[in-house]
This record gives sequence, C-alpha cells and structure tokens, in this order.
Amino acid sequence: MNATLLSPRRILLASHGTPGARAAEEAALALAEEAAAAIVLLYVVPDFWRGMRGDDWLNNVVTQQAFGDYLENELLREARKEVRRVAGEAERRGIAMEIRAMFGRPDACLLSAVAETNPDLVMIGAPRPKGVPGYRSRMKPESLMRALPCPLIVVPNPLASQKNP
Amino acid sequence: MVYTHKHPALLIMGGIFLLIGILVGTGALDGLIAYLHAGKYKGEMIWLGYILGVIGIVFGAWHLWGRHEEGDLDYYGSTVAGAIFIMLVAMIIRWFVAPYVAVLSKALGPVMGAKYLHQVLGLNYVVLGILAGIIITNTIGVPMWARNGVRLSRLGLKTGVILLGTLYSLAELQQLGKLSVVLIGFFVLGSVGLVLLLGRLRGLPNSMTGVLSAGMGVCGVSATVAASPVVKAKPVEIAYTIGTILLWGVGCMFLFPIIGNMLDMGYVQFGAWAGTGILNSAQVAGAALAYQPDGIETLKVAEIFNITRVLFLPIIVLWLALWFVKREEGNERVNVFQVIFQKFPIFVLGFILMFALSSTGIFAPPQHYKGKYFDNNIPESKLLKPEEVAVLKAEFDKVKQAKPEYAPALQRLIENRKIMSREDDALIRGLNNAKIMSKKANKLLKKAHKAVRHTAKKIKKFRQWITLLFAFGLTGLGMQITMAAIRQAGGQPLVVGGIVGTVKAVLSLIVILLFVHETI
Repeated sequence: MNATLLSPRRILLASHGTPGARAAEEAALALAEEAAAAIVLLYVVPDFWRGMRGDDWLNNVVTQQAFGDYLENELLREARKEVRRVAGEAERRGIAMEIRAMFGRPDACLLSAVAETNPDLVMIGAPRPKGVPGYRSRMKPESLMRALPCPLIVVPNPLASQKNP
Repeated sequence: MVYTHKHPALLIMGGIFLLIGILVGTGALDGLIAYLHAGKYKGEMIWLGYILGVIGIVFGAWHLWGRHEEGDLDYYGSTVAGAIFIMLVAMIIRWFVAPYVAVLSKALGPVMGAKYLHQVLGLNYVVLGILAGIIITNTIGVPMWARNGVRLSRLGLKTGVILLGTLYSLAELQQLGKLSVVLIGFFVLGSVGLVLLLGRLRGLPNSMTGVLSAGMGVCGVSATVAASPVVKAKPVEIAYTIGTILLWGVGCMFLFPIIGNMLDMGYVQFGAWAGTGILNSAQVAGAALAYQPDGIETLKVAEIFNITRVLFLPIIVLWLALWFVKREEGNERVNVFQVIFQKFPIFVLGFILMFALSSTGIFAPPQHYKGKYFDNNIPESKLLKPEEVAVLKAEFDKVKQAKPEYAPALQRLIENRKIMSREDDALIRGLNNAKIMSKKANKLLKKAHKAVRHTAKKIKKFRQWITLLFAFGLTGLGMQITMAAIRQAGGQPLVVGGIVGTVKAVLSLIVILLFVHETI
C-alpha cells in the first residue's frame, strides 16, 4: 500500500521540547499510532551556540575551556532528556522510533535529515507567539516549503490560542 | 586533524600588502593619499606593507603548495591566514576607508560646534573595523581558511594591554588606580547587588540571577563565561545573558562617544566613564579609541578601568559561588583557592612587568623618565608667536579668577613664549585639560606643551604597536560577534539588564562629571 498524507509509513518529527514542539510530538505520536507508522525524531542544537563566546577576550584558556565543557555538557543533558522523554512515550505506545541529533541551522538540518531518512511526512510545531520567551532560532517555513519533497504539517502552538482565544 | 587549508587567499593577501608597500614607496599613490589626508600613515603603509606582504607570500606559498601533517607546525602555521585576513581588513579601513569617510563627512560641514559628523559619531578606523568584522561574519561569514587565525585577535588585544604598561608613569598609575578602584568597586558591587535584588523581586531562578549579575556587573561576556559553570546557569539563561550584553555593548560603543562629544568630555572623564559604564570590556576599548582615534590618553584611562574590572572578576565569581551554594541544595563546597587561581587574568602580570621594566628606564635614557622628557631648548620657530601670546593674554584674568593656581605658569608662558620648567609644563597641561579657556587658547597651550615635551623613540614605537594591536584585536573580535547571538537577547535578562545597564551608565556619568577632573 502506498503511503498517503493520512496514512504515512514514516514521519519525521522535529522537536526540542518547547510547547509548540510538544504539540507537534503529540500529533505525530497519535498519527503514527493510528497509521502504524515509524517516527524519525530530529533534535537540533542550533548553531548560534558557535558564536556564544562572543567577544570574550579577558579570560584565560582554563576558564574558556571550563565554559566550553560546561555548555557542551548542559546542551547534551538537555538533548538526552528531551529525546528520552519522546522515545519513552513512543515505546509506551509501541511506535518504532529512530533518533537523529544534529548541530546547525534548524531548517538546513531538517532538510538534511529528510534527505537521509526519506520520510512520507514532516511534522513541526508552529513558532511560538511573539513575547513568549525562548531561543530565537526558528525554522524558515519558506525555505522548507520550497525544498521539502514531502508534505509538511505545522501543528498550532498551544500558546497562540491562549494569547488569542 | 589538519588545520591548514590549501587555498590561494593568503598568497593573494600577501600580494596585496606588498603592492600597497611598493605603490606607496614609489609615490604612485601620492595623489590618493593627499586626497584622503592620510599622509600620517604613509610610513606605516610602506613598512607594514612589506612585512605583511612577505609573511603572506611565504606562508601563502606553503599553505598552497606545501605538505601539511597533523601537528604543532600545521596548527600554528594555519593561523597566519586568519591573522593576515584581519590585518588586511583593519589596515584597508585605517589607511583608506576611514580617511575617505572623514573626507565625505568634512564635505558636509560641521554638525556640532566645530565637529564634523564622523567625529561626533566616532566613525574612525576602530569603529569601522569592528563594524566591518560584524558585517563580514554575519553576511559572507569568516572564510574557513581564516577561522583558526581569527581567534588570534584575543592575543592581539592582550598583547596591546601588556605593551600599554610601558606608557604609564607611577603617578598616573597611582591616581588612575585609586580612581578606578573607587568607581569600579562602587559600580561593580552596586550593579551585582542590584541584579541580585531585582532577580529576587522578579522571582528569577538563582542560576539566572547569578550569571546575569556577573555579566552586568563586571566585564560582560567575559564575566558570563567565567561565572556560568559556577552558578550552574542553564543554556537558555546563558544565551539570554550573552545576547543582552552584546546588544548593549555594541549599542554603547556607538552611543558613548556621541554623548561624550555632546558633553565635550575630557579624555580622562570619557575613559573613566567608558571603563565604568560600558558592560562589555571589548567595547570599552572600542569606545575609547572611537573617542580619541589619534591619541592614546583615553585608551590608557579606559584600560586601567578594564584591568581593575578584570581583577574584580575572581572576587565576584567567588562571591557568586558562595551565594549560589548557600541558596541551592546539593552543591559542592567552593574551593576558594581554585576559583581565584583559575580566574586570575595572567596577562595583567605582563602589564605590570612592562610597567616595572619601563620604570627602570630600559626603553628610554634614564633622564627621559617614562620615555617622555622635558627640554625647552627649542628653536625660534617653535616659540609662541606674538599674536598667539596676545590670545593667551586676553584670557589671563579669566584663569586668575577661575583657577588661580594655574596663573603663575601661564604668566611665565606669556612672558617667555615657551614653557619654562617641568612643573610649569604639568600645570599648563592641567590648565588645558580643565578647559577653562577658549578652544583657540587651549590649542595654543597644547602647542606650547608639545614644543617642550618630547617622546623617546622606543616609546613612540610602542604607541604605534599598541594602536595596531588594538585595531587588529578589535576588528578580529568584531568577526566573532554574530547577530544570531545578539538575537538571543530577551526575556527577563533583557528587562533586568536594561534597568541595571541604564542606571549604571547614567549614574556613572553624573559621578564622573561631578568629581573627575582632567588633572591626571
């Protein structure tokens, strides 16, 4: 049977634990459960971290190294926590899950993951509404829409309905 | 991993430098240099053009055609491309772009008193260099072959600060040291305390309050980097804090010189204000050089403040560590010695060493203390002209009333048309800095001072090297400021940072205008 929009065989879910991404997780898990599809979970560490030492020049190498190690460990810890949470939920529902973790621009990473895993459907959360705190590292929907070879579902951010009931 | 890229860029950059050296040396660019009023850079264009040209061509040929294997030679050799890349950007701006901006700005006419637009906005080679760095990294990006070497900008700045140690006299260092300890002590401790208070009032997590207070209080990104692991800051808190500080720092670097020009602040006042009010230490140096691009007095003051700030860093980190441990359960005990030792800025020792060496007179003959010496045995052409003496005479009574302590030295200058003693020279300099007299008269005081005060050759060279090292370092640091990082500014840190940053900048300005005078 050919995969369709509502009965995909493989869903690529981009998630990083924000409310918008969690809404996309829930929708993807529900769809995968219903369509007996597998999920490819993509976790992206945004590349703005590369410039996060900014113009620090006063510290010595020991301090800079300590900061780099600390930040790397923290980002890794956050990534593991999120991936384990989604993977645990998928396991509980009996959904097969493959995990991809990448470092780079979120939309470029998503396109790269799509090229590698060939999903039938991509699901992401909508950007958070203005004024809601969080990293400023959004997917660029236009570049995704131009380049994606498969359908894209953008799940509404639950905070949007709270702001505009 | 092999770091060297087989790329012709370094060879080409070496060729460009060599070409500049040859063209300027043979006089082929004389017309352009005259149009740009860039004659003062002519010597530098030749010797620096030849040196960097040869380095670029030799290393460029090795990068392109040599064999590269993993190891120290490859690692350190690969940095040459980035270093020459920064120098090319910085020097093209210093020699050609900034002078051209000045020509355009002068064509518009004065915009604030006698000052032109580029002077008011501080658009000189330093600010334009930082801007160019920011534009490059956020548009085309720093090329892969240059990335390893661009990091050398930090070494350039540290070396610049170390060499700066040669330019202070003991009296200057004592006065500036006292002033900076008082101001920095008050404002650093005050802003750290204010952030801790605001954090508690707004219900921020201890980790966020801790990292933000270090960044806002001490030396911006550097303090954030030092304090983050100690207060166990979360990545999002680090991103918010660094974004906020970079946004503020870059904004202040442009804003401070404009305000300084509007208020007609003296070099000591502006250096002290930049050193206290600007959050991020890199932008302190940028603002100081933006305010006084052709001299080093403002930078000297600002850097003493920077050094004092960085000496406060281990103490603040220790304070935050103890503060954090007290509030969070399950934290390890703080190793006081380890915190102090690890966070101590070793390059400050280099600064002290150079100051000590310079004080022995090693860089200048013993009678030329600090490389500057007094000698009023000057030719007739350097004496004040009768019409110039008349200008000073006309304002003599004004000085007698406002600052009678300067009047005898001014009287002797009027009588002899030159400064008569070392003590008179100090008083005339103080009178000039006090800005009691008109601009025209102040210019004459400066002229009289310059006629009798001479700088030792080695010290002159140090000044030139310091300027070049700061231009190199700041342009390179500009290449490491990404908009993606600045965009992370937001959340509570932006609110708290905005309040504390504004309070610190405004309060320190008021205190400096009221209590700091140009007598150092």
